[in-house]
Amino acid sequence: MKVIPQGLKAKWFWYSLLAVLCWGAWVLCSKLGTNEIPASTMQFIFAFGFIPVAILVLVMKRVKFEKSAKGIAFSLGNGILAGIGGLTLFAAYRSGGNTSVITAATALYPLITVVLAVLVLRERLNWLQMVGLGFAVAAIIIFSL
Amino acid sequence: MHLPPWFWFGLVTLVSWGIVGLFQKLSTNYLSAEWALVWLAIGFFILEPWLYPGKLLFTYSTRALAWALASGFFNALGAWALLAALKSGGKASIVTPFTALYPIVVVFLAPFILHESISGLQAVGVVCALIAVVLLSTESSTG
Repeated sequence: MKVIPQGLKAKWFWYSLLAVLCWGAWVLCSKLGTNEIPASTMQFIFAFGFIPVAILVLVMKRVKFEKSAKGIAFSLGNGILAGIGGLTLFAAYRSGGNTSVITAATALYPLITVVLAVLVLRERLNWLQMVGLGFAVAAIIIFSL
Repeated sequence: MHLPPWFWFGLVTLVSWGIVGLFQKLSTNYLSAEWALVWLAIGFFILEPWLYPGKLLFTYSTRALAWALASGFFNALGAWALLAALKSGGKASIVTPFTALYPIVVVFLAPFILHESISGLQAVGVVCALIAVVLLSTESSTG
């Protein structure tokens, strides 16, 4: 009898796979939308797609309201910055560049997070992250050729 | 050296999402991941008055508008699935790099859905980027 790998029985594996597939679908829908719609309008409509999921999260988890001014300020700032990043991503897709290349290049954003975490949060890089930095720089150089 | 327009747009995305990554770490020090997601969604709406296209909105095809709406929905659903993976016992050091592999879905489906293919050199770049994303998403230690 074939043995099912332990990871495949775990809920987290399937949720992670769902995230990967959803984000793949997000990119493809984004590219298909930007064939006709300008970047700013794409971002305008995109925001409405978050409403059902935000409601679902609050209803399913029945989470109590949390009133941390700092937490709310950081999260709102997140929304604004993520929106600006989304806007320029739509512009990149609309500019006619290769979708796979643009997606791989912009997925490198942990590069900036890791550098900021070292500078702001005084985190230390592990050796894997240092190797990762090297690959990120190589990827950016190749994409710019 | 002439860089294509997408490179500069992509660079702004890279930097702003990179800062989002830092803010996410900071926001979840004070809020649950669920509320952080909800406030992030509200943050999107702060930009809406500047993005509102007016009557032009009704000139686009229903299909294109549906793609745009689906784009937001799938992005949010992916964010929820990541939260759910972490809540159901997945280790951040495994789940985060795993979910960062979403460009693979695009690389495999783009030829069929978008009729786009990549050159050999671009493929090398994509592989380097994927390795980088996985390695960079591993947990770092606090000093």
